[in-house]
Amino acid sequence: MITITINNKEIKLEKPVTVLEAARSAGIKIPTLCWHEQLEKYGGCRLCLVEIAKVPRLQTACTLMAADGMVVRTETEQIANVRRGILEFLLINHPLDCPYCDKAGECELQDLVEKYGPAKGRYKEKKRKVPESLEDPVIVRNMGRCIMCTRCVRMCRGLQGAAAIDVISRGGHSHIEPFSGGKYDCEYCGNCISVCPVGATMSRLHRHGYRPWQMVNETETICPYCGVGCTLIVQVRDDMIKRVVPRIGSVVNNGLLCTRGRFGYEFVGSKERLTKPLIRIAPKLSADSYQLTANLFREATWEEAISLVAKKLSEIKEKYGNSAIAGIASPRCTNEDNYIFQKFMRVALGTNNIDSAARTGFAGAQNFIENIFGQGATANIIPGLSNSDLVFVAGGDPTTVNPILGLQIRACSRNGGNILTIGNFKGIEYCSPQKLAPVLYTEDVLLEGIVTALKNKKGLSGANPKLEAKIKDISTSIEDVKNICKIKEKDFNEFLNILSESTNPSIVIGKETTQSNGASYHLLLLSAINYLINGRIYLLSDRANEQGLLDMGCAPDILPGYRPVSYMEFRRRYESIWKSEIPEKQGLTIFEMIDTARNGSLKAMYVMGENPAYNLPDSKSAESVLKNIEFLVVQDIFLTETGRLADVVLPALSWAEKDGTFTNMERRIQRVRKAVNREGMEDWRIISEIAKNMGEKFNYSNVEDIFNEICKASPLHKNLTYEDIEKGEGIYPYKGEPLRDVMEEIRFQFPGSRSQGSDGKLYLRVERPLFHSGTLSRKSSALMKIYPHAVARINDKTANMLALQNGEMVRVSSKKGSMELPVIIDDMVDSSYVMLTNNFEGKGAFSLLAYQIDPVTKAPIIADMEVSIIKGRLKK
Amino acid sequence: MLSEAAIKELNEIRQKYPDASAALLPALYIAQREFGYLGADAYEAVSNALGVPKAIARGVGTFYAMYKHKPMGRHVVQLCTNVSCMILGAEKLSDFLKNKYGLEPGGTTPDKRFSLVIMECIGACGTAPAMLLNDDFYENLTEKYIEEILEKYK
Repeated sequence: MITITINNKEIKLEKPVTVLEAARSAGIKIPTLCWHEQLEKYGGCRLCLVEIAKVPRLQTACTLMAADGMVVRTETEQIANVRRGILEFLLINHPLDCPYCDKAGECELQDLVEKYGPAKGRYKEKKRKVPESLEDPVIVRNMGRCIMCTRCVRMCRGLQGAAAIDVISRGGHSHIEPFSGGKYDCEYCGNCISVCPVGATMSRLHRHGYRPWQMVNETETICPYCGVGCTLIVQVRDDMIKRVVPRIGSVVNNGLLCTRGRFGYEFVGSKERLTKPLIRIAPKLSADSYQLTANLFREATWEEAISLVAKKLSEIKEKYGNSAIAGIASPRCTNEDNYIFQKFMRVALGTNNIDSAARTGFAGAQNFIENIFGQGATANIIPGLSNSDLVFVAGGDPTTVNPILGLQIRACSRNGGNILTIGNFKGIEYCSPQKLAPVLYTEDVLLEGIVTALKNKKGLSGANPKLEAKIKDISTSIEDVKNICKIKEKDFNEFLNILSESTNPSIVIGKETTQSNGASYHLLLLSAINYLINGRIYLLSDRANEQGLLDMGCAPDILPGYRPVSYMEFRRRYESIWKSEIPEKQGLTIFEMIDTARNGSLKAMYVMGENPAYNLPDSKSAESVLKNIEFLVVQDIFLTETGRLADVVLPALSWAEKDGTFTNMERRIQRVRKAVNREGMEDWRIISEIAKNMGEKFNYSNVEDIFNEICKASPLHKNLTYEDIEKGEGIYPYKGEPLRDVMEEIRFQFPGSRSQGSDGKLYLRVERPLFHSGTLSRKSSALMKIYPHAVARINDKTANMLALQNGEMVRVSSKKGSMELPVIIDDMVDSSYVMLTNNFEGKGAFSLLAYQIDPVTKAPIIADMEVSIIKGRLKK
Repeated sequence: MLSEAAIKELNEIRQKYPDASAALLPALYIAQREFGYLGADAYEAVSNALGVPKAIARGVGTFYAMYKHKPMGRHVVQLCTNVSCMILGAEKLSDFLKNKYGLEPGGTTPDKRFSLVIMECIGACGTAPAMLLNDDFYENLTEKYIEEILEKYK
């Protein structure tokens, strides 16, 4: 126990901390500029100087450790004089353009000068003048205002791990710059903006449009983008989002944000938002015929649109039976929306034909892993990654799919943990990972090799006989790994040594694995590795409520609480609560829906917040099916590719305009709160209105009613309340009962016949960029400015072979179609493939893809798609 | 791009330091030798070779005044104008270089043959004025002697 006296107040300290931290813990404020609670100590600004009894000189409180018996004074005349002096120096070059500066009102320098002075400086020379840098689309740099506290540099290097900026030059010429000196070309997380104490680094989005004292309200909510579920503070004026900031201390992201969370909010206020229900008046054209949209629909009242939907759905149900209708739920909608959606499908329409885009990988993979390790096997705490001694990454770059989770991997590396990757991932390069990059489409051989070697090295414990039976069958020699995967024995052994010696490992699995040829086999191998090293699995999730929607039962085979629909016991439970019969027959997956609609037996579809005509592999074929379906309802916030094919389009409220809950990939339930007012209805309310119109009892007055019903009905969420969630008790396994006893045989399928990346052909892979998310990010102008259009990423060898320069237009073609776009030469890409995004209008990689379905995970296999690249545009 | 020999040399130097960023200063000297000065290409080459982020490489490089931060001529004249050299006429020599070759302090001749850097004491006070031409040392300079020396560097 250390006892220290600060300003005559005795403070007892449990563990050694700095004088500054000790003072703060006792509520004594010491002024600081370079110090920031999240950052490494620096001791550069000298504002925290304090008097220590018996020490002749003033000391910096931020770096001095508190010692037993220390007597400290933080505010004396001498200290005030020194602080005034330091501030006078800082103001020599500071432009004092406060009336014009966006930081005014929340500027730490302004506040300190207001407190300590000086009112007037003695410096008579000219100030250093640095022009404002507007070269970047998102970040404005104003080095004239910079006080060289280097918080931004320490943030970028330390916490973000990107090291995109640094102090350039020295002395009076010092300034902070990205490498280029102009544009940042970085990850655009904007965390440098969060920590800047003055107006030197600021967001361009609210430039001259934001005065901190004019913010009408601040709402704490959850990010709408990926499955990490970061806490956001949304600041609003005139019902427009002016700024999004993080909160220090929030559980998942603790003061950090990524580019999508911080800069991606503009879609909410987009002029392209749907405002009124639309009813089709013209025949259906392809989704590309966007210019004709104005003539495709007429605006309708809510009453008309709702009764039309109710009537048509009832007719189709009557005429063709319950199974002729299907619904697609949304991983962007809240738990409450999704619960109501599946209840509507099951109760009002009497079908289990409910699925979502989670089927494209996450759902099947989770199901597979839970079947081996038990429910909740993937519900691991994200910040826990940084405490692992090893992170093993396969199938996707976590720093682009789930950026804040990616930061935890970087933190693990900083803490001395090892990072192992299967393949090249740009975002974790600076962790100097140990990499094994097998030839394209031979990953399973490498994984087999790892399992074989681990098994021989560590032996089997007998804890999971079901899995061990499968592991016993796996046997691949190092020779195969060398010959097929083209991996050096030395690299393999080094990798394996690190892997087998870890004591607290984590495994991160991305979509490229869950969509690979033999996805279920890949998952078996990764599960085997996880079992042999006794790790925990993180399954990357690119949508905010992908987990929640599954937990709400938006899947053809499960009821809320992840209870199998095939079990009578569970059906009875829900039947008694919903007072309605639940069909026993498993419904159709999203891909079966498309197939069934193609052969004509599926007549109507209700699509909520999803864009299957663009977001499904082989999207052109999905589009033509949706075009020909008898009745299509699309409920969304924008007129998407799918919306353009609809018979009725229902405008919903966006994430910022409604209350509810999201469940993140850790299975943590968090509150989404309304930040902005807008006329219209939430997704759940629209569906409830339709259900009521069909004669069902869907009487909910607010989301809490729904949440309470969920917590009554779902055994997993039993007795949970909004209060519990707010207290931070929304952490899996909640108060209810996870399902641990439904364990089926482990079924998997070996990869089918396949190509190998070494055959000289060019294959298509999907890039999952940091700056985009589905088609929503198209409507956020900041993200569009950072990553403005679709590109094809190729290797320099491929570029040389085709005589292509960076930025040149090419035509990429597969048997499914082709598109023109510029190439980017990217050294992280291999010469066996080309990478395309699936985010931009008319340029979706998925339109070039054919797919098969993995029989076990029911996820699409989108490997093996051969493409060709031709230089130049198509002659017209 | 760094030459293969330079990369080899860099890797050897890297082994002498506990981590990559500690090897930055000698690595930047190698890059400067290869590229003639430290510009974006040189920083990127060092960053790729050492695995240190390029912004940090540039931050470190720009801190030091003795790296060359702009393109230099083929040969670099480093003339001392510190006390002893100054007293014995170094400033006149500087004027001579300007008049005869158009070589101003900090500048480069139009044919990119020479660059002139005015440097601080090189410890040759007893034989001042003195200069370094590339890595070669010359002392007891006179206008005529400088002319002879410069003739050797094409």
